[in-house]
Amino acid sequence: MYKFWSSIKKEIYLLINDKVGIAFMFIMPLLLVVIITIIQDSAFKLAKENKISILIINHDKGIHGEKLIKLLKESGFFDVEQNNDIPKNKIKKELLNQDKLTALYITPEFSSQLDDKTNQVSNIMIEELGLKDSSEINNDIKLPSLNFYHDPVLQESYYYTIVNVIYSFLNAIESSMMVENFCQGMGFKKMPVRLEEIIKSNKININIISATSSDNKIIPNSTQHNVPAWTIFAMFFMVVSLGNNIVKERSNGSFIRLKTLPVSFALVLSSKMLIYLLAAILQVVVIFSVGIFLFPLMNLPQLVLPSNIFALFIIVLISGLSAVSYALLIGSLAKTQEQANGFGAVSIIIFAVLGGIWVPIFILPEYLKLISNFSPLHWCLEGFYILFLKGGVWSELFKIILPLSIFIVFCQLITYFKLKVEKII
Amino acid sequence: MTSKVCIEINNLTKRYKSSEEDSLKNINLTIHSGDKFGILGPNGAGKTTLISIICGIISSNGGNIKYFDKDKEINLKTFRKKIGFVPQEYAFYQELTPNQNLEYFGALYNLSKKEIKSRSEKLLHLLGLSKVSDKKVQIFSSGMKRRINLAIGIIHEPTILFLDEPTVGVDVQSKNAIIEFLNKINREGTTIVYTSHHMTEAEEFCKSIALLDNGKLIACDDMKNLLNLHKAPSLESLFINLTGEEYRDYV
Repeated sequence: MYKFWSSIKKEIYLLINDKVGIAFMFIMPLLLVVIITIIQDSAFKLAKENKISILIINHDKGIHGEKLIKLLKESGFFDVEQNNDIPKNKIKKELLNQDKLTALYITPEFSSQLDDKTNQVSNIMIEELGLKDSSEINNDIKLPSLNFYHDPVLQESYYYTIVNVIYSFLNAIESSMMVENFCQGMGFKKMPVRLEEIIKSNKININIISATSSDNKIIPNSTQHNVPAWTIFAMFFMVVSLGNNIVKERSNGSFIRLKTLPVSFALVLSSKMLIYLLAAILQVVVIFSVGIFLFPLMNLPQLVLPSNIFALFIIVLISGLSAVSYALLIGSLAKTQEQANGFGAVSIIIFAVLGGIWVPIFILPEYLKLISNFSPLHWCLEGFYILFLKGGVWSELFKIILPLSIFIVFCQLITYFKLKVEKII
Repeated sequence: MTSKVCIEINNLTKRYKSSEEDSLKNINLTIHSGDKFGILGPNGAGKTTLISIICGIISSNGGNIKYFDKDKEINLKTFRKKIGFVPQEYAFYQELTPNQNLEYFGALYNLSKKEIKSRSEKLLHLLGLSKVSDKKVQIFSSGMKRRINLAIGIIHEPTILFLDEPTVGVDVQSKNAIIEFLNKINREGTTIVYTSHHMTEAEEFCKSIALLDNGKLIACDDMKNLLNLHKAPSLESLFINLTGEEYRDYV
């Protein structure tokens, strides 16, 4: 035990002296988790709290253009700025000059074309009821259209969302007009007030429910996503420190010297693993503490820990052990420190991309989704998400623990054989 | 030689997997307790391979080695507790201080904290490193690093000390300090086995030598006997006589 503790002490000295490794393990992930959470949170707030700024140019000669603008303003989604003096051919330039992201141009024929379209539909309905002759229906109509402009930097998904919102308001106007026309066709002078009220207010409510396994009250948000994700990334980035540490000892003859000492190599290696495993747990404590204590002070959502702390500890432990085993593997395979640094860091970034740390896995193409199963970061992240977002249970966690255990055994075996080939063990 | 045998090597052969030739060919030699034994030869002669096999770092392909402790044959595991090994590389942690390095390696030899402290102080003083005992080794000169390497190899006061090129790349002062220190511990009873290709240094230091060339043992005896036998004025001329003038480096 005395030799083991001496080895532990030596590893602590080495880790403390590895300033670059510590920066990679603690400072870089802390910066990443704070910055990415701020960005994602502001994007979330932009969609939820901030209004979308839109420039509207209404050249419509009728009343429906104004109706649409009124609905957009009343919706609360948009910060509408109306300027009807801008000519159509100058809208693009004006959009960029005014630093607006979107603009909506309502054509001069919008109302008349919309009237034609709704009349056509209501006439067909009346004709179907046998109350009108088909010769009275005008089939030669031009569909109304609007022009939507956007800044080229705007993401496709973002402006499609805006267009869909505009569509939903257009549909509301159109439906109302069709019913009104239909009523008039049926002989009413005006649409009954009761019907008008129902059309205005009878919206279908969509309840948004998070698919968690238990009744936990954790609300998925940017913090619950980012803190575990970047913690895993930080854990695996120990490859720079531990990988280097092993390459150094292999190349400077320290491992060879150990062969002449009355000590087992397993003892030396296990002390190394223990220290880095403890460092991984410390990373979790530090980054989670930032999520719990610092984020609320920065006006970011506070990290809420899962109720099953023991399960969280197990997932942290197995994730840490996966990271340590991978670093051992890289340290044993790399010939130089540069190789360990370069390959180690790049491989972690690739694993992170494939594993859903940077982008959600569901947006990946099918073949990449398949490949993502080979990323240990994917399984670690799944483990954390089961606990943090889905209120997971043990049966679900075991599905994560199994592949990670296989990964750990695989890395350890390769490391063992490589060191055996080098006659270090 | 009347002193006791501590290592006896019989028909030792070694061939590396990547090589088509034997690195060591039927080596037979005996090292006696209290000796200052030099394993000498040009580059690629097999010096490091031989010392590595004796210390149990790599295995041989044939032959055997007998280890003795006071005339009693012992196994390699027991032998390891009695040896010190100073490799050619700086086989320690340059991010740590000399004290931290000695503390770690001393503990691996199962020395108590008290023993480590007193021996470290003594060794660092003898090797002129007392003033830098708490500074990180990475800022040291080559000579200082060589002396740390040596101190680590003898912290447990081994009965046999193996040194692979202990003075390579150091200045005269450091070289003299190392040789003086080795003479001192030899006088106190430590058997020293060392490899070198510095003939002048070896001639001054060694009592007995084994000359290797291309993996073959071409001479092994007491230094004076060998010089007399070959009527050589110096070890260097004996070396040239026996190994020739050709380069020995090859890939």
